[in-house]
Parts: sequence; C-alpha cells; structure tokens
Amino acid sequence: MPKLLSRREWLRMQAAGAIGLSVSGWLEQLAAATATDPQRRRSCILLWMSGGPSQLDTWDLKPGHDNGGPFKPIATSVPGIQISEHLPKLAQQMKHLAIIRSMNTREADHGRATYLMRTGVMPTGPIQYPPLGSIVAKEKELPEDEIPGFVSIAPFRSLSPTAFQPGFLGPRYAPLIVGESFAVRPGDPAGLADLDKALKVQDLDLAPGVVREQADRRMELLDEMESRFLKQRPGVSSLSHRTAYEQALRMMRSQAVKAFDLEEEPASLRDAYGRNLFGQGCLLARRLVERGVPFVEVTLGGLAGAEALGWDTHVNNFPGVQALSNVLDPAFSTLITDLRDRGLLDTTLLIWMGEFGRTPRINNSQGRDHFANAWSVVLGGGGIRGGQVVGKTSPDGMEIAERPVTVHDLFATICLALGIDYNKKNMSNVGRPVKIVEKNPQPVTEILA
Amino acid sequence: MAGRGLCRRRISAGVLAALLGLCLPADAQKTGRSAPDPAELAGRIDRYIEAGWKAAGAKPADLADDAEFLRRVCLDIAGRIPYVSEVRPFLDDPDPNKRRKAVEGLLASPGYVNHFANVFRSAWLPELETGGDLAFTAQGFDAWIRARLAENTPYNRMVRELLTVPVMTSRRQPAASPEGRMEATPIGFFLGKEGKPENLAAATARMFLGIRLECAQCHNHPTAQWKQEQFWSYAAFFAGLQMGNPLELREVPGQRELVIPNTQTVVGPVYLDGRLPDQRDRGNSRELLAEWITSRDNPFFARAAVNRLWEHFFGIGLVDPVDDMEPENPPSHPELLDELAAEFSASGFDLKFLIRAIVLSKTYQRSSVQTDTSQDDPRLFARMSLRGLTPEQIVDSLAVAVGIPSEPEPSTPFVLRPTLRSELLARFRGGTARRIETQTSILQALALMNGPLVSEATDLEKSRTLAAVVDAPFLDVRDKVETLFLAALSRRPTEAEAKRFVRYVESGGATGDPHKALADVFWVLLNSGEFLLNH
Repeated sequence: MPKLLSRREWLRMQAAGAIGLSVSGWLEQLAAATATDPQRRRSCILLWMSGGPSQLDTWDLKPGHDNGGPFKPIATSVPGIQISEHLPKLAQQMKHLAIIRSMNTREADHGRATYLMRTGVMPTGPIQYPPLGSIVAKEKELPEDEIPGFVSIAPFRSLSPTAFQPGFLGPRYAPLIVGESFAVRPGDPAGLADLDKALKVQDLDLAPGVVREQADRRMELLDEMESRFLKQRPGVSSLSHRTAYEQALRMMRSQAVKAFDLEEEPASLRDAYGRNLFGQGCLLARRLVERGVPFVEVTLGGLAGAEALGWDTHVNNFPGVQALSNVLDPAFSTLITDLRDRGLLDTTLLIWMGEFGRTPRINNSQGRDHFANAWSVVLGGGGIRGGQVVGKTSPDGMEIAERPVTVHDLFATICLALGIDYNKKNMSNVGRPVKIVEKNPQPVTEILA
Repeated sequence: MAGRGLCRRRISAGVLAALLGLCLPADAQKTGRSAPDPAELAGRIDRYIEAGWKAAGAKPADLADDAEFLRRVCLDIAGRIPYVSEVRPFLDDPDPNKRRKAVEGLLASPGYVNHFANVFRSAWLPELETGGDLAFTAQGFDAWIRARLAENTPYNRMVRELLTVPVMTSRRQPAASPEGRMEATPIGFFLGKEGKPENLAAATARMFLGIRLECAQCHNHPTAQWKQEQFWSYAAFFAGLQMGNPLELREVPGQRELVIPNTQTVVGPVYLDGRLPDQRDRGNSRELLAEWITSRDNPFFARAAVNRLWEHFFGIGLVDPVDDMEPENPPSHPELLDELAAEFSASGFDLKFLIRAIVLSKTYQRSSVQTDTSQDDPRLFARMSLRGLTPEQIVDSLAVAVGIPSEPEPSTPFVLRPTLRSELLARFRGGTARRIETQTSILQALALMNGPLVSEATDLEKSRTLAAVVDAPFLDVRDKVETLFLAALSRRPTEAEAKRFVRYVESGGATGDPHKALADVFWVLLNSGEFLLNH
C-alpha cells in the first residue's frame, strides 16, 4: 500500500489537475489521514452575528415566562439540552457544540461592543488592540503561507472600523476581505450568479497584454520606489501599502487561491449550505481552512447580505430572528458535518457570537433591545468538549444564575482551544508589551476537550 | 539646451495643456473680505504649535518644497492631484507669493465645491454610502450643498438651513421636477436618520457639537457626563417628525414632547446647557434648536466645526476623535482650538477664511519627510502625517493622472465610465477610523496592479497621458520620464530616479519595446505609495 499523500501534496496535485475528483474512496482516506496528522495546524472559524442576536430565541429559551416569546424549545441530540425550534439541524449537531449561557460583558453600544467582543478589550486609551483574527493569524502563521492568515467574509465594518484593522500587530495581519457590500434579494437568481464573483478575490490575473517578465520588472522598480518612500516617511500607512503589495503578489502567484472557486463544489453541497451570502461564505470558510488558513470569519448581518443590523431586532424581533435562523441553521450545521467528513473538525474551533445579546423583556414594538449582562456564545469543534451547556440565567433571563463568563475568560478559553499561550506578550503601538489576554482570566476549562 | 527649453515650453503650452485640462486661473481671485487677515491667524497657529514642540522637545521637519505643497493643497482643497499643466508653471514661477495665489485659485475652482460637497455629504449623510433607498435623495442633497459652497454661505447658516428645512405633510418628498432632477434640498439628512428624534439627536450632537450623546440614549452611565433624560429632552426638539413608510416624512407642528421608550416619563425640549426654550415662542421647535446650536454664544458649535476642519487638513483633530469633545478627552492644543473657534465665529463662520488660515500656516506646510524620531507623535504636528485619500480623491486623482475627466462633462467625449467609477469607489470605501492610520488592503493593491483603470492608463492605445508622452516628437526619454512623474507624482524625478528609469526605458524593459517600457514606468508610479497617500 503506497503511503498516503499529505493533504498539502494532495491539494497541490489536485490544483495541477493530476488528481480528478472521481478517485474512489479518496475522501475517507484523506479524512482519516488528516484527522491523525499531528502536524496539522489548528484553525478557527468565527461566525459573527452582526447587530446582536437574541439569546432567548436561539440558545437560551425561557418557555412559560412572559419574557420567553412565542418560540418553542426543541430537544437536541444531547439529552437535556434544548434550543430554538428554528434551529432543527443544529439541534442534531449538539454533540459538537458547547453553549455558554452566562456571558456578562456589560457594553451595550454597537460600536464599542463590537470592538470589545472582537479584540477582548474596551476601546479606551491609545493602544490599538488587534482583533482575534489578527492574533490567531500571527500565532499560527507559517513562512510558506500564500493566503493571508485572516480572511473576513462579508463583514460590515462601519460599526467599528478599527475592530477590523490589525491594530498594533501591523498590516501583515490585516484581514483579506471578500463579499463585502454584496447584497442580493432572497430568491433572486440573477443576484445569486454574482454571489460567486463577490466571494472571489478580484483582479488576481495580470491585466490583458502584460507578460510575466514585464510584471516582474515592474515590481522590481516599484520595490525601489517603495523602499525609498518608506524610509523617508515611516509610518503605518506607508508600511501597510508595501505589505499589501507583497501579499497581493504572493497571492497572484499562488495555487491556493483556488480556494475561492466555489464552482468546484458539488451543487448538492452548495444547496445544503444555503444559496445565500452567509451559506456560501461558510462553504468558503471550509475550503480556506482546508488549505491551512488559520482564521476565517463569516458575518451574518441580514438576509440579503450587506446589512449590518439584521439581528438588531428592536422592532418585530420574532419574524426577524426566525428568518435569520432559517439562514443560520443549514449553513452552520452543514459546516459542522462537512468539516467532520473531511477530518477537519477536530482541528477547527468554531465560534458563534455577536457583539451582545438582547433584552429578555419584550418591548412595546414586539422587539428586544441591547443587552450585555446575560447572553449566549457558542463554541464547538476542535478543542471543545461538545454536548454541554455552561452557565445559567435566571428564569426571567435578566441575570446570570451560575458561572458568569467575562470577555477575558472567553478569549482565554478560545486561546487554549487553539493551543495559543494567552500570557504571551506582543509589543503594542505605545511601546509597552501587552498580553494576548489581560486581566487574569478564568478560562472555561470545563468545555475544553 | 535652447531646443530643449523650447520643446518643454511647447509641450506645456500645447499638447499637454490641451489634453490634460484645466489651468489655475491666471489672476487669482482676491479674497472678498477685508478683515480679518488669514495670514495673521496662520502665524498664531504656528506660534501655538511651536510652543508644543518646545514643551515636548521635538525638532520640526523641514518645510515642504513647492511640489510637495502643491500636491497636498490640491488634494485637500480640490480633492485631486494637480494636472501637469498646473505643476510645471507653479514649480517654475519665481513669485514668492505663489503658494497663496495657488490657494486662492483652488478655492475659486469647481474642484473646491466638488471636494467639500463630498466631504460634507460623507460626514452628514454617511448612510448614503451603504446605498439602498436613500440614493435618490443624494442628488437633492448634493445640489443643495454645492450651491451653498459655491456661494461660500456662512457655515452657521448652512447648518441652520439644514436643521430647519421645511417638512411637508405630503407623500414622498421632496418632489422631483418634471425633468426628473431633484430640487436642491438637505431633506436627505432627515430621511437618512429615518426621521427619528433619537437618531437626529445623536447625529446633530455628534456632527455640530462634537458630543457623543447617544451613549445616554438607553441608560445613564455612571461616569459619563450626559444623562438619559438630557438625551431625550434634546431629542424632543425633533418630536414632531414622523416617518411612515420609508421616505415618507411628516411633521406634526407644535408637537414638542415625547415619551422615553420603555418608561412613562414624558419630556419636553431642553437645550444641552440646561436652558429651556422660550415657552411663548410657539414656532417650529427645530427653529428653536437651530437658533441655539448655531448661536455665537454656543460654546460647542464653533469648536466642533474648527476641529473637524483641522482634521480635514491634518488627518487628526486637535481633539481626537473629532466627535468626542468631552472634558476627559482634552485637545492637544487647547488655546489654539479656542482661538480658532473665536476667529471662525468672528469671521462670520467663513469656511474659506478658516481654510486660508490653516493652509497658509507653516504648520500645514511642513514636509512629511521624517528628519527626527521626535516628529512621530502626530499630535505634535512636527511633520505632516501621511494621510489616506478618500475614495473620491483616489478615483479623481487617477483620472487626472491618466488624462480623463472623471465627471461627465457634455463637451468631452472621454469620461471615466460610471460603472468603473462606482466599482473603484466601492473598493476604496470603508475601513478607517483615523485617516493618518489608513491602511492599503490587498484588494486595493490588486485593483491598482491589475484592474481596468490602471491597465487602461498604461495601455499605449487607450491612455491619453501615455499616448501624448510617447508620441511627443520633440521629447527625449528623460523628458518623457519627467512628464510621467509630473502626471502621477506631481514632482520631477530625482537625479537617481531619472537615471534609473531612463536606463530602463532605453533598454526597452522586459519586452525590448521602449514604448512598453514607458508604460511600465507609468504603472510603477501609479502603484507607488507616494501616489496613493497624501503626503
């Protein structure tokens, strides 16, 4: 029996057309090899729920209480754990997921909370903290990487632009963004055709009529100009310009960018994820993780995409959450099964969260307002012992009854699941070293595998 | 030598001037006001800033040379880099007063109206940038803001007009004229805020007063200055507004009270300084608010405006961030901010007066080249910070460099295709909180490296600038390289650069074709950080 190809070798050969998709049994063999590969890097996929999703109508229902609303809880594949009736497929994957129902983060302004939940720190003072994606990209980078270590799919950045910048870690760890500002009306086939394009990296090919040697000479001359400019005018803007060109060039010469070719996937799988921006974004996340990208985030902000605040249900909370659940449920559950089928689930940490939760009390507009004192985050996949619930809220949902978890505790837990030392220090922009997680966190060790 | 001088004059006066467009007006318009004197205020700016260096032990950078100054001031006032036909005469002009002349020319140009219309629109109506139903109000808002800027309407009057724009009770407003053109009106401001008192309160406090009031919207913060009741009492000035379906705004005259959501508390209008509006005055409550906001006695109004304008020209406000002018976030130069505010107010809120004072200061005219690490703190203003360009500045500057007008003009057959323009704008939109920390994204780099606009700019068949340079019969290679530098970077090449690029072109570059090699040079210049950053 010949030795199995390494995943990287296999992908390279597949990209070069040496292996067809029809090789029988390849997927199982590859999955087994991948799962047992001790060298395999851990990755992280963050499903970012922009606007602040209602915990009471997703993961922490309050049946029988006035605050509960009309949604019914359903049983999951784990006895004793119930979630919303509008997340039936996820209920079947509960053994891979751990719900933290006791987040207390205390910041209920969209912009500030977005910064807080993405960086782990409140936006005060002169230090520009990096978001989780930049931290993981830096900790997990390898010299041979061709795609940036932090890819952000369909973000809505206006709430807190700095929460999408790499902060003091510098431009090298800035996110590669695709699918931004893309909107399509649900069910619009013409719009869906553009979706594949929106999720690709544009302008990767040399312009028509430009030959490779010419492009190389151009880059050589440009590099001389850039060195001089950067030396005369040092600073984050000039450095980031040069870095972006270096990374762009590396991607232009890379085979790994085939990750963005979603057309390679079978139609049935694409349907299963959901033919919408978030669903296809989750599929893209899997393809990127498969090629070793350490951190991928996919934003769900609205039904059509390009909306910031779909989860911001001050008015008519229930139809809004139900419609978003119908997008979330197939995408998230298919992501879990797809990663598992490919042997990637054990090395891929999954995070589901928004910037805060919503008020248990239902307001006069049948809506729920901002609430950061007792809300839910879900972790799953690699490094997490799934099938459990941590923490508990009071019967009315207003307070934490057990095991409060702070943002620092959460970030420390995430680091442990990814094998990152959260006490490690990075040099900040004010010349003071800063720990990856500050404030002596208490990680939620009971959910770690 | 004589031949070369002749040909240079010929090119600048002939081919290029014709192709590359506008010149600075020959005799710059004189300032309309007799007093006060902007140059005098510029000197005071410099004294405050110099005191700051002394206190911090900073050594200032050199003054910017003519090329660095012209490029910067063109970008900051007219929103685009200068044309070759502007750069050459400016660099060669021996007049010691030429910088002031250039400023006057730019302030009188359509570029000023264009650029500041973009700046005010994106500050006041940021909702437009995310597209959607609001797009139809953009035209009316643009027409309004352009007309006011063209007349140099005092800033306080602009804000007052915006706040008090009549709201009718009819459907779908404002009405389009029979030709489909929107009338000039700032109503889009109210539509963008969905006509909601709370959104309008938060937005007007941020934009016109430099106060972040909205944190107090939901609850009292133990440490913050503003309380929930203050927020809603301020919002009550907008209590009469109602939005039914999207873009159907109505106003109930005389409605001056509202209920704080999720409470039983009813509040009426109270100014942020705690005073109550005159109860006998039964006029529109928005009029009463506008009166207070734009009053000369309002301590916030002029300071907020001055700080925003300072941020426009330096990339960072004297108070940073610009909309957080709270006591716990003090200005870098408090006396300077007060003095600018007082002078702005005394000038009758004359935007052009304030712009003149700022750009004529030595502080604004510092080079961005670092000569000492003590210059690295941007709040010392010891060297000019590198600043990112707005999407419009990038696209319009590319158009200038390439030789095509980016705004459709009936008389010109070549324009930047609207779809290409909007795609490029989208690519460069978003992502920055402070302009001095603007970062280039990989996608932006790719758009400039391989995307259609730069490809066309460097296509020998399609590029007007390149074609003019390549085909100019009297230009030697060095002149050609110099012209490309002037077109893209608004400066002449250094000796070393000239040698390097001339050698490259003469060798034919990678393809053995000197024409293609010139295209390579242009590509390199348009892709450089020096092109993409305001420096």
